[in-house]
Amino acid sequence: MAKQTQNRYLVDYGEPVGIIAAQSVGEPGTQMILRSFHLAGIESTVATSGLPRIIELVDAKKKPTTPITYIYLESGVNKNFEKATELLKKINEVRMNHIAKRVLENFSKGKIKVVLDKQELDSEGLTQKYVASKIEKELDLEAKIEDNGIVVNMHTRNLKEIRAATISLMKMLVSGVDGAGKGTIRRDDATKEFYLVSAGSNIEGIMAVDGVDKTRTTTNDVFAVYRLFGIEAASKALAIELKKTLKEQKISVDDRHLNLLADAMTASGTIKGVGRHGLSGEKKSVFARAAYEETLKHLIHAAAFGEVDRMKGVTENILIGKQIPIGTGSVKLAVKKEDMAKIKPKSDK
Amino acid sequence: MAARAKGKAYVYLNGKVAGAVENPLELAAEIRAARRKGMISGEVNVSYSEKLNAVNINTDRGRLRKPYIIVENKQSKFTRELEEKLKSKEINFNWLLRNGIVEYLDAEEEENILAAMTEKDITEKTTHLEVDISAIFGFTINTSPYPEHNSLARHAMLANFTKQAQGLYATNFNQRFDSRSYILFYPQKPIATTAAYETVKITNHPSGQNFVVALSTYYGYNMADAIVLNRAAVDRGLGRSMFYKTYVDEERRYPGGQKDKFKIPPPTADGYMGEHVYSKLSEDGIIEPEMEVSEGDALIGKIAPPRFLEENLGAGGLEEKVRDDTVVMKTGESGVVDSVIFTESTGATKIVKTRIRSLRIPENGDKFASRHGQKGVVALIVPPEDMPFTAEGIVPDLLLNPHSIPTRLTFGHLLEMLSGKAGAVGGRIMDGTAFAEAGSKRIEDYGNMLESHGFERYGNEVLYDGMTGLPFRSTIFNGVVYYNRLYHMVSNKIQVRSRGKVQILTHQPTEGKARQGALRFGEMERDALIGYGASLLLKERLLDQSDKTEVLVCKNCGSLGYYDHIKKVQICSVCKQNDFEEVEISYAFKVLLDEIKSLHIMTSISLNE
Repeated sequence: MAKQTQNRYLVDYGEPVGIIAAQSVGEPGTQMILRSFHLAGIESTVATSGLPRIIELVDAKKKPTTPITYIYLESGVNKNFEKATELLKKINEVRMNHIAKRVLENFSKGKIKVVLDKQELDSEGLTQKYVASKIEKELDLEAKIEDNGIVVNMHTRNLKEIRAATISLMKMLVSGVDGAGKGTIRRDDATKEFYLVSAGSNIEGIMAVDGVDKTRTTTNDVFAVYRLFGIEAASKALAIELKKTLKEQKISVDDRHLNLLADAMTASGTIKGVGRHGLSGEKKSVFARAAYEETLKHLIHAAAFGEVDRMKGVTENILIGKQIPIGTGSVKLAVKKEDMAKIKPKSDK
Repeated sequence: MAARAKGKAYVYLNGKVAGAVENPLELAAEIRAARRKGMISGEVNVSYSEKLNAVNINTDRGRLRKPYIIVENKQSKFTRELEEKLKSKEINFNWLLRNGIVEYLDAEEEENILAAMTEKDITEKTTHLEVDISAIFGFTINTSPYPEHNSLARHAMLANFTKQAQGLYATNFNQRFDSRSYILFYPQKPIATTAAYETVKITNHPSGQNFVVALSTYYGYNMADAIVLNRAAVDRGLGRSMFYKTYVDEERRYPGGQKDKFKIPPPTADGYMGEHVYSKLSEDGIIEPEMEVSEGDALIGKIAPPRFLEENLGAGGLEEKVRDDTVVMKTGESGVVDSVIFTESTGATKIVKTRIRSLRIPENGDKFASRHGQKGVVALIVPPEDMPFTAEGIVPDLLLNPHSIPTRLTFGHLLEMLSGKAGAVGGRIMDGTAFAEAGSKRIEDYGNMLESHGFERYGNEVLYDGMTGLPFRSTIFNGVVYYNRLYHMVSNKIQVRSRGKVQILTHQPTEGKARQGALRFGEMERDALIGYGASLLLKERLLDQSDKTEVLVCKNCGSLGYYDHIKKVQICSVCKQNDFEEVEISYAFKVLLDEIKSLHIMTSISLNE
């Protein structure tokens, strides 16, 4: 019984699942060019959506335009707003230029004065003292607090050195996780728990922070998932991202088509795009590749290396005019030898 | 440029700084006064921009300008007295311009005025009065009736349809040899016209007819912009037109003293098409008027010298070789030769023009449109006995689906139906000028006219089903609307193919109507068949019905061999053997292999099974 049920959901042998998936995604996808929904918001974490996002995923872009990490918190923390805020401060990527109000370079005295923004400092839970000590530790410079700011004494009047120091000073990570981005706290209306959303994708760094639930924290950066968890997880993440993006646009496509696409993109062990530099460009058949893009390149390569086309695919068989090995063309009639003997030739009278 | 004008307003003459003034408004007023007095040209426009604190004086070309009546002291300068004088032609419009009654303003100066729509609207601040309230629209919109009741999108469509309408485009059409022209048989002037329509005298060369229209469905035959016509009306000439097409040819001269010649080509001519083609030509090689011609018939017989010089050298002067360059009727066309003329080009070469005429009776698929952007395609021509009819026995010419109206916001169409009906019973031409009357007043006026002739006020009537003779349960709105027949006609577009010409290079079927082509079975269609897994159907489309060829593949080296018809053997030119397999491939693939071969790359096919 179970076997029967299972078999009912299997695809028939020779079913062109790839073409069907492409058509199933492509047909509603054409609408996306015409209309795309935009979610307005004041947050800094508004993700790319619609067609640009689909293209980004399908082309296997190394870095998404808007990386976002959903940070879930462990049970002790997730219902407590204060604790969640504290955790956010630990993660929130704060660099010097975020909190500096003014920067004054005194080339004649060889000093750099940084006036910090009091409000920013407070909101991040930092003190001038902490920042000064951070400068000493990270950049190995002499930093002192003077009346209304931090003064870094360079002990040199070399213009270049001072400017270089200023630049690295501005880029310095004051607190938080490198690459975590700026985050906000949100509350799940259903479970009443707090979680964080940050505009970065360093999940490795974020997961190292105490209090972060490592089992649920996720990101929209497929490559970050791949680096940390491997290809199987990346395949899942890719499929989830595709589904999410289409759902946002109110386009309903069967999950299996998108799963197939994600599987095809990750089957080689790394994430590959579908275009010229990915799946289509790496087809086995010379003719199939030449029929797609860069015809000359593929033909010349085939000539130089004596490539053989095994004629196993669809495109190459259409090209030469053979029946394609798909659907009704994927099966052949076979008759047993002993049965052959039973067949009597029709006697024409 | 003048020195920095502190506190002063710059004055620009045609966009260039001419100076600065202390009181810009005074300057503008002074120029205007001078213009109205005729001291300076009426083509000068002046405007003051408060935002830029600048006076712009424009005298150059290319400014769109519009006339306004000048208002002074709450009084329009165009008085009743002047109106009477204008009507009696004692004065004319130019007189009004010269005497400062009316002036033309450009877009910039319009920003400085306050124009009243009607004389009633004049207030303290009013400076100008619209010549007519309909002048707020442009010419195109003003030539359509009741434009204020239609949506702008439909006006845009109307502008396009007007260009496509068949009518009496020129009164000397009989003397003209346009490459294509369409003449409507019984053009009528519209019952509902507008002031602009009359002014430009479009009525002298009308392009439509007044159709009796009922807003009714007819089974499913007028769904989605389809229309139903009355056969009786069509038979009596409704929408009937003539299509003229001109074929031209010239006796060209070539370098080297050779020239073309009009004559029936000899059978020896290169490209001779067979005796039957030239059978209708007269002795001079040119078709006679009133001859019935159809697809493939020669119209102008012509011989030309060969394309390449060498061809003539081989003949040895015995007989001059010529090429057939006859003008033949295009595929799918037929008609009667209307007129043949001989003329001469500026280079003193002979030119022959033949005009073919053919009748275009409305048929299924022909396109009609009213003047409200309501287009439709004939879907059914019903015998009059099956059409609905009124108690008086009036049978509509056209049945328009009522669903065409609400979503498209073309209520002008309904108003024209009513006014057309009122005009028809009252024997009057109706005025449909924009804003000439309030819509509600118009409806009541037309209602009164209809009622005085015994019709229902609002155009509704009981219609009887032609098939059963029973009245329809609901009354049906009907009236008279001016319809245009557009030049998109099926008989000029229809195209079929089963087998036919193929391209030389690929051996695949040709494309396009002119080449008796097929419709392309493209990539997406291919994908659809793959999606169904219909592999044999796909092969049939792309190979058997297209460029199938049989080639000889050498079992030894895998290259393509050939059949030597003299020695009657199969030969592989690579390994000189004759062990072959006959293989069906697409000709396009053979071309590909040949092209690769031409690049000095050896390809080889290995066969299985």
